[in-house]
Amino acid sequence: MTERERVARQSNELQAQEEPIARHRSGGLPTTWQAMRKSWQAYALLMPIFILLIIFNYYPPILGLLRAFYRWRPGVEASFVGLQHFNVYFTSPETPRELLNMFKLLLFFLFTGSVVPFVMAELIFRIRSNDAKELYRLFLIIPMLVPLIVVILLWKQIYDPNLGLINGILEALKIEALSRNWLGDTASALYAIMFMGFPWVSGVGTLIYLGGLGQISVSIFDACEVDGCTGIRRTLQIDLPLVLGQVRLMTILAVIAGITSFQTILVLTDGGPGFATMVPGLTMFHKAFRTQQFGYAAAIGMLLFILTLAATLVVNRAVHPAVEETGR
Amino acid sequence: MRPHPSREISPPGRRPLQLSQIGSHLFIITMLLLSLIPTYLLLTWSFKNGLQYRWERWTISLPLRWRNYGAAWEIIGDYMINTVIVAFVGLVGMLLLSLIGGYVFARMSFPFRETLYYAIIALLMVPWVLSFIPAYMVYVRLGLLNTRWALIIPELAGGPIFGIFLMRAFITGIPEELYESARCDGAGVLDLIGRITLPLALPGLATLAVLNFIGVWNSFLWPLVMIQDNEKQMIAVGLYKLARSATSAGFHGWTSQDFSVWGPLYAGYVIASLPLVALFVVLGKFYVEGLVDSGLKV
Repeated sequence: MTERERVARQSNELQAQEEPIARHRSGGLPTTWQAMRKSWQAYALLMPIFILLIIFNYYPPILGLLRAFYRWRPGVEASFVGLQHFNVYFTSPETPRELLNMFKLLLFFLFTGSVVPFVMAELIFRIRSNDAKELYRLFLIIPMLVPLIVVILLWKQIYDPNLGLINGILEALKIEALSRNWLGDTASALYAIMFMGFPWVSGVGTLIYLGGLGQISVSIFDACEVDGCTGIRRTLQIDLPLVLGQVRLMTILAVIAGITSFQTILVLTDGGPGFATMVPGLTMFHKAFRTQQFGYAAAIGMLLFILTLAATLVVNRAVHPAVEETGR
Repeated sequence: MRPHPSREISPPGRRPLQLSQIGSHLFIITMLLLSLIPTYLLLTWSFKNGLQYRWERWTISLPLRWRNYGAAWEIIGDYMINTVIVAFVGLVGMLLLSLIGGYVFARMSFPFRETLYYAIIALLMVPWVLSFIPAYMVYVRLGLLNTRWALIIPELAGGPIFGIFLMRAFITGIPEELYESARCDGAGVLDLIGRITLPLALPGLATLAVLNFIGVWNSFLWPLVMIQDNEKQMIAVGLYKLARSATSAGFHGWTSQDFSVWGPLYAGYVIASLPLVALFVVLGKFYVEGLVDSGLKV
């Protein structure tokens, strides 16, 4: 990743050198129009991409922002309803519950998506034997060779009240009293969804942190050793500050996933039992594809967009990546 | 994500293995074993018959029942083929557009270059929740509902967003002298892209291809709402529907459940994982890069 950043930085330097030459080549101070006509080839080559992007990638989000204020369904003329959808959403009795669920999931994703992978990456990074390191990396990747839907369906089976692994373990330990229908019980369903993926170490996060740690120059660690800064102190004072860029990335990813993702919930519980595991994203999905309220769904989509935007800005403000001052 | 150069902190004279190192090893191994449990269950269950699934669920049952795999292929083979078709058609177009876009932004100078570039990159910031509902409506309006194009176009149009970002950085790293000498020989833009850039950009394109293949293979919500015909359905949704029908068959209580459905179902899950495994075996380094990039892609 940092390799790529370096390439990108080089490219910027290259461009900085190129630009004046290009301007010079086209002769004195050309009007923009002339320069544009001269570079028709570039525009022609970009044309197909932009046509596709305008229809399928620029237009939909803009349309979504507009249609949040309309009653909207396929085959029917959209009619303006103002802020009605937002009124309905915020006065609906299920809304506080699902916002709370979303918030709980978000906090938990911060732990599983940002903290746990860092600890795992740091431990693997500290391993002295390079062979062991490579082997651990390989084993981190193996669970990622299974499609996400299969992982979710497997966990659904693990939680199964009669055939599941968790109740099976409780039975073997003779504490059957604790066993329950994990996903079907209002008290446990949301926590079961959080627990999915335990112990949350094999994922892109650990690889990203490992990449970041690998970029820190050896001289820093040598200096640490000389200064007697080792163990947990080094982790907190050297390693962590130097991978803050990765910390920020993983935090933003966790926040966005916490606010917007609902695929897992859709498959595991579909928001149930009752509304116990409902989240706004799933409400959006249900409103659109089960009750055909596309305008209402677009309004929820817009709310979630604003939330992710705000949260991303907050994280960006809060986490400042440190700059390594010694030369590489 | 390249293998890091050896960075042993200790000086050459090896120290005895510390207690903390042993502790780390044990902790890491425990964590890795725990995270492999679902994969283990997946593999063992895929070889079981109904009785074995009922009575020896947690251990490996011998002999392995390969017949499950044949039965599973009967059911999910079409989903697999559909997904591969969609992935490859989309992939060819996506790679072409990314290569061209990357070249134009990296190697040509023209007015509004940076503006146009950032207009594309800005799309990476648009979260999919905002576009999901309206995009569905746009596709319906264009008559793409329940067609394969509805699955190919998102890859074709959406893929190059990150693709151009990646390829621009990659192509900028190619030495200018190569292009200079080709231009002296009278090469046009298309020659420069096809003859010079393409061969040198292959590693970048491989990463991009793997990244997109993983994305298509895992795509779930979009085909779920877009495709109604089972004959056109993608693998992830196919497995989901299959699992639902298998579990709802036992809805009346587990004693009456036919346990023989589970073996082939899990064999189907394994078969659905094989393309990703094959991709990793063949293109290991690119697979890991693709995974990491899929994280960056948000």
